[in-house]
Amino acid sequence: MKRFLIVILTVMLVVFLFNSCAKKVKTVPETTKVEQVDETAPKVEKPKLTEEEIFLQKSLDEINKEGNLKKINFDFDKYTIREDMKGVLHKNADWLLKHSSVVFSIAGHCDERGTVEYNMALGEKRADAAMKYLLDLGIPANRMKIVSFGKNNPLVKGVDEKTHFMNRRDEFIIVKK
Amino acid sequence: MGKFFKIGLLTIALVIVLSSNSFSQEEIKVRITEGIPMIPVALPQFDYTEASQVDGNVLKDLYETIWDDLEYSRVFKLVPRQYFTYIGKLDQENIVFKDWASVQARVLITGKVEITNGDRIIFSVKVYEVETGKIIFKRNFAGRKEFTRLIAHRTSDEMMKHFGEKPYFTSKIVFVSTRDGNKEIYIMDYDGGRQKRITFNSYIDLMPSWSKDGENLLFTTYKKGIPDLVKFNLYSGKTDLISSGGVNYRADWSNEEDKLVYTSSKNGNNAEIYLREMDSGKEKRLTFNRIIDSSPCWSPNGKEIAFTSQRSGTPQIYIMNEDGTNVRRITYEGTYHDNPAWSPDGSRITYVSRIEGRFDIYVLNIKNNSMTKLTEMSGRNENPAWSPDSRHIIFTSNRTGNYQLYSIDYNGENLIKLTRRGENLMPKWQKIE
Repeated sequence: MKRFLIVILTVMLVVFLFNSCAKKVKTVPETTKVEQVDETAPKVEKPKLTEEEIFLQKSLDEINKEGNLKKINFDFDKYTIREDMKGVLHKNADWLLKHSSVVFSIAGHCDERGTVEYNMALGEKRADAAMKYLLDLGIPANRMKIVSFGKNNPLVKGVDEKTHFMNRRDEFIIVKK
Repeated sequence: MGKFFKIGLLTIALVIVLSSNSFSQEEIKVRITEGIPMIPVALPQFDYTEASQVDGNVLKDLYETIWDDLEYSRVFKLVPRQYFTYIGKLDQENIVFKDWASVQARVLITGKVEITNGDRIIFSVKVYEVETGKIIFKRNFAGRKEFTRLIAHRTSDEMMKHFGEKPYFTSKIVFVSTRDGNKEIYIMDYDGGRQKRITFNSYIDLMPSWSKDGENLLFTTYKKGIPDLVKFNLYSGKTDLISSGGVNYRADWSNEEDKLVYTSSKNGNNAEIYLREMDSGKEKRLTFNRIIDSSPCWSPNGKEIAFTSQRSGTPQIYIMNEDGTNVRRITYEGTYHDNPAWSPDGSRITYVSRIEGRFDIYVLNIKNNSMTKLTEMSGRNENPAWSPDSRHIIFTSNRTGNYQLYSIDYNGENLIKLTRRGENLMPKWQKIE
């Protein structure tokens, strides 16, 4: 009996000890969690300029130098719009519709192979032809002016057909934005 | 600028006052008509005071300018100088007219040049009929040295007057030149002497023409970016706007009344012809269509207008009455005609034709419908304008590479180059009565 008691006590001690020992092992393990320190800043930054705003900051000279409005050329002694120039006028019209504040001047020019007088009239007819075409494409008349320079302001000097072709032209010049 | 003109005018006035001094006792008048052979004139060297001899330029300028004027006139023919060596030296106090008759001279011009105060020229000229020894006229002209050429031209003008011709040697030519950078207006003597800039608009000035009194110019200026027609007073420097809107150009002032014709597109982007009364400012449109009508010019009597129209499909020359009625076409050959200019005597119209890409100047005799081609195979020839006596045409040509002004006789003879600096275009000769 006595022996039985000792065993019991020992077991109890062992269990006790084991228990207490086990308790020690079971202590909470150290976690490696990183705390985020954060703050949502209000999103204020320099806004990108709209195309229109960029446009308004430029001088007329700068805009004209960019060449957004392309020249068109004409056949000798003619003021009808050539088929291959219609695309140019459509592109010009697209740009003009996008920049609706722009007022521009269409300047008609001729090559040197006519008289001064006749070319003054012909240059005007050329400018007028482009104006009418742009009217049909929805550009209001009050945004367009026309002027003829006849053969007084050739773009290039020369006597060959290539030169003449380059000089027979309408130029589109922005005069107000 | 205005000052220069005033001085010029004053000198002319002075010359006139001096020349009208009581020398008229023995003067005779000689009248010639076209077709009569040119009158042979002897022009021996002038006598001079010592001071005049020292200033050789004055003597030379006076003599050569008169020589060139008379040669240019096509009224006089100068007896070649070498003939003078066959006869005795001229003694102005004792002229041997037989000698001058022997070298075929019909008229003898003698002159004396004197310089006083170092700057003042007095030129005394006596002109004789060789056959009779009678004085045709004599004059004393005086002026500052800088007006030597003007004194010479005045002398030549006297010759013209006494032979029933228009005295145009003191008249001016207005033109456009690029010599100072851009196209500006200039004037010069009829022979290309004393060229002077008139406008300083720093842009394009074009197609000048004269008022009938010679005091005003009409021209097109791009000063405001568009081709406006303005009137410019040479003496006050004042500019008046005549027409604006569209293109406005090629104005011609009538001889008879104060009215002008010009080209404008102010009513709808198409060149039309307008008539304007200068006093009232009243305007009348003379052409109505959707094709180009341009380049109007008056007939000398102010009743008709020659102009260019594309109504047949190509630019051709037409004539209409001053109210726009009775339009008739005068050019048929070729597909491109422009620049009509009516001769002051009413008999001819000069114009430019483009044939196979070449621009040449033609003269149409409207009495017998005969046509003369004045220029051939030598560059582009444009902007013909008449001399006041209808014997010469001035025009621009790029025959030497760039555009210069030339004079040519109405029959295509005697081509003379008048300008050299820059490009020179659109000449118009001053109108004289």
